[in-house]
Amino acid sequence: MDKEKILNIENLDITFHTNAGDIHAIRGVNIDLEKGETVAIVGESGSGKSVSMKAVMGLLASNATVNGGKIEFRYTHDDGTEAEIDILQKDRAWIRKHINGKRIAMIFQDPMTSLDPTMTIGRQITEGIIWHYGTSKADAWKKAVELLTEVGITDVEKRMKQYPHQLSGGMRQRVVIAIALACDPELLICDEPTTALDVTIQAKILELIMRVQKERGLSVIYITHDLGVVAKVADYIDVMYAGKIVEKGTADEIFYDPRHPYTWGLLSAMPDLKTDDSRLYTIPGSPPNLLHEVRGDAFAARNIYALKADEIADPPMFQISKNHFASTWLLDPRAPRVEMPAELKARIERMKKEAE
Amino acid sequence: MAADYTKEPLLKVENLKQHFRVSRDYTVRAVDGVSFEIYPGETYGLVGESGSGKSTIGRSIIRLYKPTSGKIVFNGADISGRLRGEDEKMLRTKMQMIFQDPMASLNPRKQIGDIIGEGLDIHHAYSSREERHERIDDILRMVGLSPEHYSRYPHQFSGGQRQRVGIARALIMDPALIIADECISALDVSIQAQVVNLMKDIQDKTGTSFLFIAHDLSMVKYISDRIGVLHLGHLLETGTTKEIFDNPVHPYTRSLISAIPEPNPLVEKKRIAFGYDMEAEGVDYHAGTEHLIGGTHRVLGTDEEIAEWTKE
Repeated sequence: MDKEKILNIENLDITFHTNAGDIHAIRGVNIDLEKGETVAIVGESGSGKSVSMKAVMGLLASNATVNGGKIEFRYTHDDGTEAEIDILQKDRAWIRKHINGKRIAMIFQDPMTSLDPTMTIGRQITEGIIWHYGTSKADAWKKAVELLTEVGITDVEKRMKQYPHQLSGGMRQRVVIAIALACDPELLICDEPTTALDVTIQAKILELIMRVQKERGLSVIYITHDLGVVAKVADYIDVMYAGKIVEKGTADEIFYDPRHPYTWGLLSAMPDLKTDDSRLYTIPGSPPNLLHEVRGDAFAARNIYALKADEIADPPMFQISKNHFASTWLLDPRAPRVEMPAELKARIERMKKEAE
Repeated sequence: MAADYTKEPLLKVENLKQHFRVSRDYTVRAVDGVSFEIYPGETYGLVGESGSGKSTIGRSIIRLYKPTSGKIVFNGADISGRLRGEDEKMLRTKMQMIFQDPMASLNPRKQIGDIIGEGLDIHHAYSSREERHERIDDILRMVGLSPEHYSRYPHQFSGGQRQRVGIARALIMDPALIIADECISALDVSIQAQVVNLMKDIQDKTGTSFLFIAHDLSMVKYISDRIGVLHLGHLLETGTTKEIFDNPVHPYTRSLISAIPEPNPLVEKKRIAFGYDMEAEGVDYHAGTEHLIGGTHRVLGTDEEIAEWTKE
């Protein structure tokens, strides 16, 4: 298979100016994605996962300043030629016309707030097609009917004339997916696509996104804090903490061989149906306030394995295997050998056994 | 303190129905004949998808609604009909609620201490200003905040801290039962764990019972002693956590359990969740009666259905 990069974010650095002071929300983020693959960005709220993706879409709030970095995006023109651009160098109008919706589409968390309550489903789907491609109303309508069928909605002609409040939550999210697919994008960004949905519907929506991705050869970025969802969909995982990627690797590497103490904490905190511990593991403390410049490793204060070096310097990315990187001083050859917590180790062993 | 099953149930709900009349010829039967009981010191988890009636049950029990029919006995008093003065006072102090969104349920213009102390003020439950302040400080410490937080405002707290304030506000009346309605759904996973652990610690210390309403089965499993599964206003299956998870009988319960994603990529990528289609399976909730499977495990269904589901 011909693998090539579709998105490459390098050293992205963003500050927000607020009344309370400057918030250094993104502190050098690197994300890359190859065609047809899925990467999941995992982290707590406030870790900067949504802000990074808003930067990709050119949707940053007006009080944000990009201090540096680049966001390279490669796409195919309508005539088949390829183009490579740096999104940060383009102005908003250009991005709106050439990128948003057309080449990069986004699915948001809550379908009730991302749909317009005063517009019929049909108009909301055809709107983008007509705006981007100047298609005639009749043709756009035909295409919308096909899209709704593709996302598994029955009774399509009737649904096209209905309003969002007449649909159930799961169906609304299917409509949102249909809208995202309307202009044949090459990259799909899903921002917590199932958090507002019930578990039974969540599974169906994820299976739908995976199927569409396969059929259309889309690249997908998931933003989520649910590791169960990540396990189901992701090829690669980027773990984000306080505006930085602290560990990245393939899904198997992150789940079965995590190296960063924060990843250990995240995996341990996940409730597990198979064990009967009466207490859940929690990561002590809370994330740092990015109003104040972070000195050393941002996770050090919550890290029981923290070393002296963590207070002085921010650790670089240490390479563990071809795709697996982690930013912690524990991986430095001079550091003492620290193993992951025993409970987590036992759990990973058990998960591996189940997989056989 | 563990749940005490030898005592009389603290809360007994019998055949509760809560209907909402929308128009002359359309009535929503949000809760349609639900029975369960909660023992002192126990945590009972109610799970179901949105629209199953789980929040409505919580609201009917605490009497934000007037139940259409059925009987609710709490702490020895019937609280389903018109409330007598003393019963109302007992209900308003001994039963408390924690809500889903801590930002929306805390008054943004009030100090944390006054939000927590509001119940004390209403019921004149202190003899001096000092006593009031002391009790609020004690509760703040108990939920993992500190007395310095007394004069802060809700917006100065993080989501997890705000939910601790919600818990403190419920605890200060020394309730026998706390209804937690989706109280962790709006929080991050790591914060959810902190709040769930806090609720367990408090139960160990005070012996309060919890009615834990949620749609996330994995969290419910951690916190609950017994679980009830709701769908479309009917309680389909109830039993201890072990009975429900080791031996789910009703196809809806099975589909719920199978839908929980596991943090195990090799297993998860291959797995496809069971669907549940009520019409395709021909299950009529109204025709079913409650069947005892064993222990405290009860399932709603007709004789034939139960025989079919328990066959294997």
